[in-house]
Amino acid sequence: MIGNDIVDLKQARIDSNWKRKGFLEKIFTQNEQVLIFSSANQHQTVWLLWSMKEAAYKIYMRQFGNRFFNPTRLECNIETKTKGHVVIGDNTFDTISQIDKNYIHTIASKRREKGVKSSCFKIENTSIKLQSELSKKRVLETYSKIRNIPKNSVAIQKDAIGIPYFFQNNKKQKESLSIAHHGHYCAYVIL
Amino acid sequence: MTKEELITKLKTIVQPYIQDEEAFKNLSENTDFINDLKINSANLVDVILDVEDEFDIRIENDDMEKMTSVKAAMDIVNEKLAAT
Repeated sequence: MIGNDIVDLKQARIDSNWKRKGFLEKIFTQNEQVLIFSSANQHQTVWLLWSMKEAAYKIYMRQFGNRFFNPTRLECNIETKTKGHVVIGDNTFDTISQIDKNYIHTIASKRREKGVKSSCFKIENTSIKLQSELSKKRVLETYSKIRNIPKNSVAIQKDAIGIPYFFQNNKKQKESLSIAHHGHYCAYVIL
Repeated sequence: MTKEELITKLKTIVQPYIQDEEAFKNLSENTDFINDLKINSANLVDVILDVEDEFDIRIENDDMEKMTSVKAAMDIVNEKLAAT
C-alpha cells in the first residue's frame, strides 16, 4: 500500500499561517515542535512534517478504513534529510520526501517498497476540479503504459471514503494508487 | 442557541476555507468539511481554532478527532457549551 502528499510551499504561505496561536499544538507533538524550532528553515520543516503525516495517514486510512482528524496521533521521525518514518499507534510507515524550493512531495509506504512509479508536475490553473481531471488523465496514461493495455479500457474510481482504485473493463485492479494536489503542483504514485 | 443559529455561525466560520461553492451553498448538518466543502486539511485546524474563538471553548485534540462534519462540530460545540 502506498500514500502521498504534496505541499506547494508558496501556496502554503497563502493558505495557512502556522505561526497562528494554537496552530502547531493541534498538529505537532512536543518532539516535532522541537524539530521545527531548531531547524534552519522552519517553514520547510513544518510542511515536510505535515506532508509525512498526510502521506502516512492515507495508507492508514486505506488499511483500517476509518477517518480521524488528530495529526498529533501521528509521530514523525526524521532519519536523513529526505527519509523518515511515521508512527501511528502500532503501525510504522516509511517515508521518502522530495524537497524542492517550490514544493515538498512525500511518499509513504508500509515498507521501503521497490517499483514505485511516481511523478510530480506543475499545473498553472489552480481549480481543484480541473487539476483532478488532469492528474487522473496523466495517471491513466502512465498506468496503461505500465500494464501495456489500451487507455480507454482503464478508469479510476473512488470508494465511499474517497480512496481511488484502478479499474479495467469495470474490474477492480490490484495496483495501489495515490494522488495529491496543492496550489500549482500535482503528484501521483502507483505501486 | 437554536440549531439554525449554530449552523449559521459555523457557515460563517468555514466560508474563508471552502473550495466547493456549490456544496457550501447547500450546507447542512450532513455536510462533510473535507469530502464536500473540499477544505484542505491544514485549514481544518483553522476552522477548529476559529470555533474555539467564536464560542470561547477549548477543543482538545481528542475531541477534534471526529470533527470532520458540520454535525460533528455542532455536537462538540453543544457539549462544550453545556459544560461551561
